[in-house]
Amino acid sequence: MSLWSEILKNVFKKPVTIEYPKVKTPIEKDFRGLQYADLNKCNGCSLCAIECPSKAIEMRKLPEDIKLKHNPRGLYPVINYPSCVFCYRCVTICPVNAYITKNEYRLATETEKLLSDTLSLQTLKSGGA
Amino acid sequence: MTETVLQIPISLEIPIGPQHPALHEPVMLKVYADGEEVVKVEINTGYNHRGVEKLFEMNSFYKGVFISARICGICNTVHANVYVRGIEQLLGLEPSPRAKYLRVLAMELERIHSHMIINAIMAEILGFDTLFMLIMRDRELVMKAKEILTGGRVLADYYMPGGVRRDIDDVKKDRILDILKKIRPRLEYYKKLFEVDPTITNRLVDVGVLKPRDITLHGLVGPIARGSGVKTDVRAEDKYEVYGEIPWNVITRSEGDSLARMLVRWDEAIESLNMCEYILTHLPGGQAVVDERKLPRVLPLGEAFTRVEAPRGELTYYIIGSGRDRPYRVKVRTPSFHNIINSGFSYLGYSIADVPVILVSYDPCISCMERAILIKDGEKKYVSLRDIVNMKRVR
Repeated sequence: MSLWSEILKNVFKKPVTIEYPKVKTPIEKDFRGLQYADLNKCNGCSLCAIECPSKAIEMRKLPEDIKLKHNPRGLYPVINYPSCVFCYRCVTICPVNAYITKNEYRLATETEKLLSDTLSLQTLKSGGA
Repeated sequence: MTETVLQIPISLEIPIGPQHPALHEPVMLKVYADGEEVVKVEINTGYNHRGVEKLFEMNSFYKGVFISARICGICNTVHANVYVRGIEQLLGLEPSPRAKYLRVLAMELERIHSHMIINAIMAEILGFDTLFMLIMRDRELVMKAKEILTGGRVLADYYMPGGVRRDIDDVKKDRILDILKKIRPRLEYYKKLFEVDPTITNRLVDVGVLKPRDITLHGLVGPIARGSGVKTDVRAEDKYEVYGEIPWNVITRSEGDSLARMLVRWDEAIESLNMCEYILTHLPGGQAVVDERKLPRVLPLGEAFTRVEAPRGELTYYIIGSGRDRPYRVKVRTPSFHNIINSGFSYLGYSIADVPVILVSYDPCISCMERAILIKDGEKKYVSLRDIVNMKRVR
């Protein structure tokens, strides 16, 4: 009889490990996670692309309908997250502090998180040039 | 090699590795056994060569700070520290006292978790998997402390010539102190367990005994030397950063067997914990973070030689400045290079089952030590890419 009670107890017991997708992993606010350029500040100087140790940043032309006064060359950095090593050299070297940093570390799950172009272009809509 | 083996009447050649359940690193031990007794060990490396020294020469010296941290995952802060100190020697920069304290804090936190992981792996090799899980669980606390300090759980990327890359405030300081308080009883418990538990002591006592003469003859460094009673520690000899100001002791043991080496690591972890607590309570004020935009862009002509006590032993960097933005040459000499390649003699006379135990007690770090240098009959030979291609063709 005790065997059955033990089996039933174990069937309905929660596992001792952290149930990851339901329970979030505790992470620091300033953990080095996802980062992208704020196009309201970025002036397209390309310093982050030159200084990147893993060559993960590519300077691309802005879409043709977007003209920014502070960005005469019309370039903006696009980070390739699979090759980024998250050293934050681009964040610290930026002369206008244009980078937005987040503690997001789950980058393998969604395909739109492969490149930073959508995130960067969204900053223009929200902030206004 | 083959001729000498043929002289032994009955010997069996057993390859252990490079992928083997009893090894956690890609190294190949070719063990020749007479019955159960090991009569000869050949150590073959080259499975993890990545050409890091060439990468240093091809990239600017600021990129080198991050490349050096990626040589080894577990001891990344010591690699970055010793590289950055070499660059500082060339540039003539001097970090502030607060930056020096924070640098030592990051390195000592890393020493704690490095010593914990090798003891956990030793428990796993012995078949004591529960202890492996327990030590790895408590190691997460140290990783959390490192995350609070540097912003990365494993790769710190904390160093920059002239200082550190982020500072801590009082809230973070208290949180790290709380974590250290939780770790202390666990470290003391594990140390006692390694001393008294028969599962561990039966496998480790009198296995892989190294006399002090062997240590000096074969140039072994780090906890291996200290486990055999050789009092050598770069932190005490060079007193780099602020090791001269922090009270601490060099741990030595006289037994020289595998257990002594593991116990030296537990004692050092407790000693590092004391140092971390001292640093956090005596942290000087001032500016620690360096503005990376105002640093010089050219590495002047000259050479720098720096060394550091990594968790595995003495680690040295030799940097030649070229007068351009990239170094002319960076030579990395890691502790595992000595401890693994030179230690083939120490397996002789023990049984085959002892080979993984002895190897793990040396704390191998193969990704650190892979260099394209052949040392044969005492003379040194550098191998170029063309030579490697030709070798492949011949075989």
